[in-house]
Amino acid sequence: MAPEDPVTVSPPPPPPPPTPSLKTKIARRFVKSLAEVWTSRKLATEGGVRKRARRIKIAAYSSMARAVGGSRRAWSRALLAKLQGRAKRRCHLRSQRCLGLKRKRAGSRNMVRNEVSGSDKLRRLVPGGKAMDLCNLLEETSHFVQCLATQVKVMQSIADRYSV
Amino acid sequence: MNTPLSLPEMLHCEETMVLERQRARMKWQPDQLQLHVQSEGQGCYFGGGSELNGTFSLGQSIESLMDCGGAEAVFAEVLNHPIKPDPGVESGWLSGFDLSGLGYGACGFGGGSGLEVNFAINRTLSCPPAVAVAAAAVSAATPAVTAEKAQESVVSEKISQAGRENSKKRKVDKVHNAKIEDESRDKRIKGCPEEVESKITEQSNNKTNNNNNKEASAGSSKENSKVSDVPKLDYIHVRARRGQATDSHSLAERVRREKISERMKFLQDLVPGCNKITGKAGMLDEIINYVQSLQRQVEFLSMKLAAVNPRLDLDLDNIFAKEMIPACTASFPTIDMLSDMANPAYLPFSPTQTVVSCSGMETGINPDLGLRRTISAPLSIPNAFVNSSCFTQLQQPSTWDLGLQNLYNMEFHQGKTMAFPSQQFAGSVEGSNLKTEM
Repeated sequence: MAPEDPVTVSPPPPPPPPTPSLKTKIARRFVKSLAEVWTSRKLATEGGVRKRARRIKIAAYSSMARAVGGSRRAWSRALLAKLQGRAKRRCHLRSQRCLGLKRKRAGSRNMVRNEVSGSDKLRRLVPGGKAMDLCNLLEETSHFVQCLATQVKVMQSIADRYSV
Repeated sequence: MNTPLSLPEMLHCEETMVLERQRARMKWQPDQLQLHVQSEGQGCYFGGGSELNGTFSLGQSIESLMDCGGAEAVFAEVLNHPIKPDPGVESGWLSGFDLSGLGYGACGFGGGSGLEVNFAINRTLSCPPAVAVAAAAVSAATPAVTAEKAQESVVSEKISQAGRENSKKRKVDKVHNAKIEDESRDKRIKGCPEEVESKITEQSNNKTNNNNNKEASAGSSKENSKVSDVPKLDYIHVRARRGQATDSHSLAERVRREKISERMKFLQDLVPGCNKITGKAGMLDEIINYVQSLQRQVEFLSMKLAAVNPRLDLDLDNIFAKEMIPACTASFPTIDMLSDMANPAYLPFSPTQTVVSCSGMETGINPDLGLRRTISAPLSIPNAFVNSSCFTQLQQPSTWDLGLQNLYNMEFHQGKTMAFPSQQFAGSVEGSNLKTEM
């Protein structure tokens, strides 16, 4: 924000940047939810590592989606909806997903063979990709890939830090 | 052809833009850089046609941007600082920062020119090439900026200037395009995904296709210019060459195919190892593999993070709480330097920690938590140490007035830390301090 301000020649770099970058946003949210997962007594006592891992994964994805701006992007919207839905009704999700895939496969049969399989696979991978045409799908994919790579970087640095 | 008339104006505008951008860069290196990092598609928006171009023409500078660009570097540094005890990180980061500034400057202009070189060559039918290149570069760079700014609702001079400049350019282009539309269409559409933010308007106007009247009012208002510039690009350039089908369906299909190939090119730059592959199918496979590998990595890392001893959670909390406070981040290098010289550094370590844990000066830390941390101290020496040395600076005066707790914790320490001679050393020093106190 605030790109134009009083004219000062070469000020010392202010320590907190006004608009945090994507990595900062993701890391902040993720660290917060990670600390929640780690501190929660319930998970520490009853749930095993797998349960905690699942929680952390959900935290990672949701922090990524929220850092982008929640509903600004199609993939983040779909991802958040999916995660919230998973929290509420986990059992219904599987059947719904299967239905969606079948419909999509039936719909896009008359394309070129290679592209069908490729773009369909991509649709499965990118959240919310089922409802997009190829053009939007590619755009969302590139943004998603960027965010995912950033998320992986953040998680990697945290894991490096605590694994030693 | 009225280009000889209007080109000087364009050049003038373009120079003011350049000057302004340079000045802004001088003033606002951190946040301006970061803003542009975002607007160049480095951050969360991928309005980054020029990132794409940068990788075409100045891959090196974009690499430096990617590594140490702006606020990313700030947080990366904040993240990594407690890990690395190296005090030279700070200076290295600073130099990287300057480097990234330079790299940005280079890629901001060079990138644009890299994109539009072909286009400019097309236009050299009537223009001197250098001028055309420069003008094209800036005009390629400005729509992204305007789109970005308008979205953030930051009303500034820059926007209006850019808008005016764009409208002028548009007029010039219109005259041009009477002749060379067909050739420049491809390049121009290539330039379009820079305005990804305004893609919606672009598409909607693409459908309506009747925005000729908007051109008249293009220069009047900023928003209008922003809205009408982009679709006009598309609208004008959707034209068939000789011998191509001209019905609306095939035109739309052609536009769609071009968009797809454009996105593919963008993705190709994002996905590593995708540059060698030609063909859409192979590229799609590669992208899919990359996304899958990233998702697997997230899964693996979450397993790893879940397997981490959750007793360290408080350290994480504290450290990140500290890192949000700029003063403490500023004081990290000295702390890390302290942690380098390990044995003497343990002198402040255990007494202050005991005091912190028992005096309850910090609101969030209870006595038992402090005890737990001393239990896990052999696992997390650096983390706990960073914390405790933070507290050293904060709470040095109140360190020595709690004799009983010190005694208690000293016993505790000596019971727990047979594996750490340095800590025993600390304990003995503590004992001597206690003696002096008693």
